[in-house]
Amino acid sequence: MIIGRVVLALLAIGILCQGCAFSRGTLGDDIKAEAVSLIQKGITTKAEVLSLMGAPDRLLQLNGRDVFQYYRYDAKAGSLLLIIFNFTRMSIKSDDVFVILNRDGLVEDIIASKRTDTVRFRFWPFGE
Amino acid sequence: MTILWRKALSLLVGAVLCLPIVGCNMIRVTLNTSLMPEDVAFIVPGQTTLADIVDKLGAPDTLTNSETGVVATYRFLDMKYSRVNFGWLAKPWSPVDPDLIFSRTGFGVDAFEVHCDQQWVVLYQVFQRHLIRPPFYPYPFQQSRALPQNELPLPSGPAIMANHESGTVRSAPQ
Repeated sequence: MIIGRVVLALLAIGILCQGCAFSRGTLGDDIKAEAVSLIQKGITTKAEVLSLMGAPDRLLQLNGRDVFQYYRYDAKAGSLLLIIFNFTRMSIKSDDVFVILNRDGLVEDIIASKRTDTVRFRFWPFGE
Repeated sequence: MTILWRKALSLLVGAVLCLPIVGCNMIRVTLNTSLMPEDVAFIVPGQTTLADIVDKLGAPDTLTNSETGVVATYRFLDMKYSRVNFGWLAKPWSPVDPDLIFSRTGFGVDAFEVHCDQQWVVLYQVFQRHLIRPPFYPYPFQQSRALPQNELPLPSGPAIMANHESGTVRSAPQ
């Protein structure tokens, strides 16, 4: 009896998941929140930023100040392939960190946000 | 005979009703969260700082240098692609694999730019393209609706015009 139910449940799951596709793509290394939290304004030096975060993905100059930019992209796509209807939804979000260094080589400001935690696999392309 | 006609008619009506959804593909790609004018209504030029904006909207995608200070840019995309293959209707009866495809893609690429002075105080903010979210609409022959000038969400700061001859940036005459 139990075996029958398990088989039935597996069959139902198999039928429901049939025609589904899950895809994921990432660009860049994971930005460690612990490393970002260790950077302190007016104290941390350029060398310490480099040892904590590694080489920046992009190096900018803003008003004579060096800016290190680190980024990571995460993409999740879900597809529902029902032969007659096919729905695909891909969501891409990024994590960005900007470390602004003053002329003395000390961190003047840090701008960071982590958006990739909110990326979900979605299938329905309508709505938000 | 009448019953046969009724059956044929209901089959035809059924086929016509199914027509728009036959061989239908809908794909949507979003990059970051689309920003709308109401999302950035809290920004007051001359008062709001970039730190306030980062608190609410997160870090920008790019920071660039400008003559007046810094430009923070938030990029976002809401791409919609739809495709209908009417050839599917003939597949059961055709010896070949027929295709009659209508498809259309709307790249909803936009960006929100915040221009700040050297103290990171907002000078003005502006949307790059005034994105109108495109619907899923596979018919490729219709012209896109032009947004009338009076519907454009105006920036709260002064408009900026680039003078390409001198390479300088100046405020537009009021």
